[in-house]
Parts: sequence; C-alpha cells; structure tokens
Amino acid sequence: MSAVWTLRRGEAGYPACLHDLDERAPGVLYGVGDRSLVSGLDPDRVVTIVGARRSGAYGRGVAHELGYGAGAAGLIVVSGMALGCDSAAHEGALAAGGSTVAVLGNGPDIPYPPSKSELHERIAGEGGAVIAERPPGQQPEPRFFPERNRIMAALAGTVVIVEGRHRSGTRHTANEAEALGRDVGAVPGAVTSSLSELPNDLIRDGAAVVRDPQDLLDLGLGVGVARARGVGPALEAELERVLLAVEGGAATCDAVALETAVEGRSAAVALARLELMGYVTADGVGRYARTALLPPTVDE
Amino acid sequence: MALLASVSTYALLGVEARDVTVEVDVTSGLPSFAVVGLPDAAVRESRERVRAAIQNSGFDFPQSRITASLAPADLRKAGPGFDLAIAAALLGANGELEENALRGTALAAELALDGALRPVPGALAMAERAALAGVERIIVAPESAYEAGLPSAVGAAGGARVVPIERLADLRRIGTEGEPAFTAPAPDLDVAPGEHPDLADLRGQPALRDALEIAAAGGHGMLILGPPGAGKSLAARRLPSIMPPPSQPEAMEILRVASVCGRRPEAGAVSRPFRAPHHTISPAGLVGGGNPPRAGEVTMAHGGVLFLDELGEFSRSALEALRQPLEDGTVTIARVRHSVSLPSRFLLIAASNPCPCGHGEDRPDCRCTPGAARRYRNRISGALADRIDLSLHVEQPSAEALGGAEGESSAGVRKRVTAARDTAHLRQGCPNAELRPAALRRHARLGRRARQELTSGHRRLGLSGRGHDRVLRVARTVADLRGCEVVEADHVATALAFRRRGAE
Repeated sequence: MSAVWTLRRGEAGYPACLHDLDERAPGVLYGVGDRSLVSGLDPDRVVTIVGARRSGAYGRGVAHELGYGAGAAGLIVVSGMALGCDSAAHEGALAAGGSTVAVLGNGPDIPYPPSKSELHERIAGEGGAVIAERPPGQQPEPRFFPERNRIMAALAGTVVIVEGRHRSGTRHTANEAEALGRDVGAVPGAVTSSLSELPNDLIRDGAAVVRDPQDLLDLGLGVGVARARGVGPALEAELERVLLAVEGGAATCDAVALETAVEGRSAAVALARLELMGYVTADGVGRYARTALLPPTVDE
Repeated sequence: MALLASVSTYALLGVEARDVTVEVDVTSGLPSFAVVGLPDAAVRESRERVRAAIQNSGFDFPQSRITASLAPADLRKAGPGFDLAIAAALLGANGELEENALRGTALAAELALDGALRPVPGALAMAERAALAGVERIIVAPESAYEAGLPSAVGAAGGARVVPIERLADLRRIGTEGEPAFTAPAPDLDVAPGEHPDLADLRGQPALRDALEIAAAGGHGMLILGPPGAGKSLAARRLPSIMPPPSQPEAMEILRVASVCGRRPEAGAVSRPFRAPHHTISPAGLVGGGNPPRAGEVTMAHGGVLFLDELGEFSRSALEALRQPLEDGTVTIARVRHSVSLPSRFLLIAASNPCPCGHGEDRPDCRCTPGAARRYRNRISGALADRIDLSLHVEQPSAEALGGAEGESSAGVRKRVTAARDTAHLRQGCPNAELRPAALRRHARLGRRARQELTSGHRRLGLSGRGHDRVLRVARTVADLRGCEVVEADHVATALAFRRRGAE
C-alpha cells in the first residue's frame, strides 16, 4: 500500500468543491492513491453513485453499468466502497478503465468492509484514490459513516441513487446532495420493492430519472454532450483488422473475408469472437454492424 | 359356361408395391366389359386398350359378358399399369393361353392399341415385391427390364426372373423354349457425384463456400439470406456436387423413388437428386398426398438435396408439413384404410430475401411496410426453426471478386466432406445433424477454451437451449472437417458465426 498523503483546508490542492460545505468542510483529508486526482476534482466531471448495501442483483447490475458508462466516458466515479451498489459502481468504473474515488468512514489505509480489500487495493493502484477525514489507522465506527456521506455528495456535480430504503444512509447522502444544490438522479425500480422506495420517492420529488449510462451522461454533462461508449477487452491484430472492416461497412462474413484477405472460416471465427466481446452485433438476418464499444487502444 | 382365370400384378402405394390379383370371368350374356375393384379413370379406360390390343395381336376377343376384378377390392387402383394383367387374364379365361402358362408369373405393363407393351412407373418396387413373394418371373416392357432386374441383382436371394416382352402376342412364348431371356445387371450399382454444377463457379464468397461445406459434411439444414442477385440459388444448386456419392443402399432407394415417381432408372451411374419446388407448391405436393398416396417433393429429394428458394413465400401450411419429414426422415400419409410411409431423408437448403422487397428492412431503399416485413421475417425465422442449423447473410459479390480466380472445385471439397462424414459415421453411426442431445454431449467433447466460448455465447448472445445444441452440432462438424477429435474454440466460434439468428 502506497503512503498516506494529506490535503489540508486552506492549503494548495484542497478540492475546491468541498468549500461548498462551509464550516462542515473537513479540515484534513487523508488519502492513498493518486493525490493529484483528488486535488484537481472538477465537480462537473465527477459523479457519485451510491446505493444500498443489501442490494439486489438489479441494483448491483445497474450500479456496475452506470459506473462502467461513466468511467468509459472519462468521468470520475465517487462512491463509498460499501458492499452492494457502492462496490459495484467502483468495479464498473475500473472495468471501463476509468478512475474512481472511494470515500471511507475510517482511516484511508484500512479496507472496510474487509472483504473489499482487493477492491481497495485496485482503486488506489489503478489511477484512483481512497480518501477519508479520519487519520490512518482509525478503525470504523458507526457514527463516522453519515459524516462521510456529506463528502461524497460535495465532491460531485451529480449524485445518483441506485437503490435504498426510506430510512438509510443513502437517503442521508441524497439529502446532503440536495442541500448542496447538486444534480440528483435516481434509478427507478419496482414500486413493490422496498429497495426502490428511496429512488422512487426522489423521482416523485423531482429527481432526474437515470435508466442507463446515457441518462447519467445527459444529467452530468448536458443532454447529447457525450455518447455512452464502453471500452471492450483488448483485441488481437486479426480481430482488429476485421473490426476495421466492419466499421468500413463490411456487413457479411464474405465481405469481411475479402476485405481483410483472410479465409472465410477465419472471418467467421473473428466475427463470432467480436460479437461475443460486444464489438459487433448482427441483426435478425445476420448482417453485422459496429456497436458503440471502443477497443482499449483507441480510447484516450 | 363360365370361364375364369387369374394373374398377379402390383399396385403402387407410396413407394411400395402391393400384390393385386386380377381375375377375369367370361360368361354368356349381353357382350359387356366391366372392371371392378376401385379402379380410377385410367384403369377403367384400360378396357378399350385391352380390347384393341387383343384384337390387333391376332387373338380372339370374346363377344360375352366380361368382368375383370382387381383384388383386394378395397385398395384404390390408379394408372394404366394393369392393362397387361387384365389382358393376360382375359386371354387365359378365353382359352387363348395355356392354363398353367402364367402360374407363378406377375405382369406389369401398359398396352398400346397395337398390342405393344409400354413401361410403367415403379417397376423396381414391383420386382422387389415379386422377389419377396417368391414370384418366379415378372413380365414387363423392355424399357422396364433394367430396373426390374435390379432387385435380383442386388438382393441376396434369387428374386424373380425378368422377362421383357415387346408385344402382347409374345405371351404365347412364355413357358416355352422361345421365352425371351434377360441378363440381370451387374450387382454393384455405379454411383457418381452426378451432373450437378460445380462449386468452382462460386467466386468471391469464401464464407458461403465454408458454410456449404459444413452443411454437406454434417447434414445440417442451411438458410442463406440476402438480396436478389447475391448468388443464393447459384450456391444452393452446387450443394449436391460436394456431397459424397450415394452408398449402395442409398443408391437403391434413390432409384426406387425415381422409378415410382416416373423417372425411369436407366443403366448408368446413380447420383443424388436435387429438387427445387416452386414456392406456390401445396402441402400435398411438398410432402405427398392424394389417394392412393403419391410421393411429394421431399420424397423425390430423398438421398439428395431439397432447395426451398424464397422460403418466406412458401405457405405456412406447406412449411408446417415439412416438420415431420425433417424430424423423422419419413413421411406418413394416413388414409382411412391404410397408412403409407415414404422415405424423405434429404439435406435442406433454403434461401430468402431479408424482407419482401429484398433490400432489407433497415435499408433506405426498402419499400416494405413494417407489418409486411415483420410477418415475412417471422415466417423465415419461425419456419423449420429446429432443423436449420446454419444460416448466413450474403451480399452481391463485387465485380473484382466475380472476375477473380475460380474457387476450389467440387471434387476437392467433396474429398473433405466425405472424410468428415466417414469420421462421424464411424463415431456415432449418423450424421452430426441427427445427433440427439444426449448423444451430442457424449460425442462432442469440448476443449477448455471451447467450453468458455460456448458459455459466453450462452450468456452474451442469449442462446437458448436448442440454439446451444445447434451450435454444438455444427461445431462438431467443423471439428470433423479439420480432423480434430476434440472440439476447439475456433470450431465453436465458426458455429456461432453461422448460427441461426432471430426468434427461436
């Protein structure tokens, strides 16, 4: 684990957006990982994605997808590294090759919950940061968690609630975001599910509906500013050639084979692989087309 | 004074011959000639042919009350094939022939008015039935002699002696030393790929070539989608040329069906049939029907290829009717008194435009209404869903590709296809396309990466259980073509690329 650094209020590098908290702004931030990422945080490029710890597959899946979409679009994803939705959002952002910041209630060097120690390491090691207002070595206490929620809300221009009950820490984060004048979005859920009480409430009260990464980007960056494009797995040279052929309009296996001068069966194999990876898709009659997914080399 | 004589002949039911006994009774009374025993119009008209033929052959036609009965009386008799038997029985009843001359003899031919014999369809099946029933000799027209001689040549048992005669008057020589002799053909049927167009003509469509090769090797039903002029039927017509020549039993079945359907087998090589019925065909025309039941296109394609061009234009009922033959390899036609099974094991290849106008719904030049396009698509994807393992989309090849070098010829591809078929047969005794799920899992062992690929296909592409099995079957065939015992990732990927898409 890399060394712990600090950011002090009133000194250079302290994230400007935290001043929105006025006297409640943390005096010191302790962190591990990329310090410059945290000090340069621009709320317009940051989204906070939070949700219930005891979430369903729905909440975790959506959180992952939103984290992925935001990460792929170059947004920084902030969350609390808690079980359930929070971790899923971090993992989504990491899967897309994006940066993510975890805000903990305990010392930044202590992975909490312990089962997420691997995630803790990845966040700090893969271009992100783990921050907290508690000093290193501080063990978690229940009262710390509501306090850190205000930081998560303040860091981002957009806060999205994935799942949560009426009375929950997630509600607390939503309230903080509203009080700070952040854009609040919520993922709609089944009206019969207690896990969706909070987001459905928020939507009724005027929060933006967030159904997919595109909704999230529209909310965070403005409608139509960015297209939700994911980043897919790495490609071998031949797959890359085939992908370029499909981008160039080759819609059939034959056309791809001729374009790339590979055998018919190699073209078929390559197209099947690309379809499995999500780079191309075929319509009902088997004509191939490019998806929005970007190969990792083209990204950045 | 009543004179009675009876002789044996055959009626065709599907592709089989059934024993029919012709009895003729000549009694005194007002001159008349009646045929009873469910004859159709052609059989009733045989009275006129029989009368003229008898008189023009120098026999006496009795001016008496004549009744010809075709037994069993509840089996419908169709066609002119009973002419010779009726005439022979009449001559026997009239005392023109020796009483015992036609004992142990079956006859099957149509008569010309001048007494000449004409061939009838199904002589091969009749001779088989004769061999089974222990008939001593079968009298046919000279044109039928080759096919009638096949069962005794190929069959282990002796079978009936084939006696070809040219004229009705030659019946006098039966049972005497002057009886015409016929040399049975050689026991081994000559088989050949046949006169189908060659795959070398297919230029600039490498994936289509590969898919055809896989279809031929595994016996997989195949669907080619694409706009008009993309070479869909050109490709389909070349499919028989890359299939291995038929085996001896297959060749015999092909000849039997051809014979029954009126395409008389001639001496020479047997090749696989190719049938391409028009899309306006009725269900009965496609799978067989009528009374007595007649073979349809699926039976005529037995052992070969059935090509359904413009799949989306076929009537729903016709496509529905195809299910049983595709599933079982036989068609069962049930009538009140009997049911008939017709062989129908064929390789299915279908072609279709992507939408009624042919351009494809999502193209700007498509003129179809959304509803019409949807119905069309549903018909294509819904039809025969379980039996089409392979599908691919083709476009018109570019001018350069068309002007380019010829592709590999059929002979080369056929060699690989034959080897793959032999491998599959040795392993499981049937083509891969006919593997049932349990056997499929046993015989298609997957490598580690192949399993991953298939699993991710399941998850990412939403493959259904049946879709999964279809991919596995095709992957097995691809592995066989590459000479691999274990199915590898590339084989699965190929199968995924050529998988059937759309609604399950």
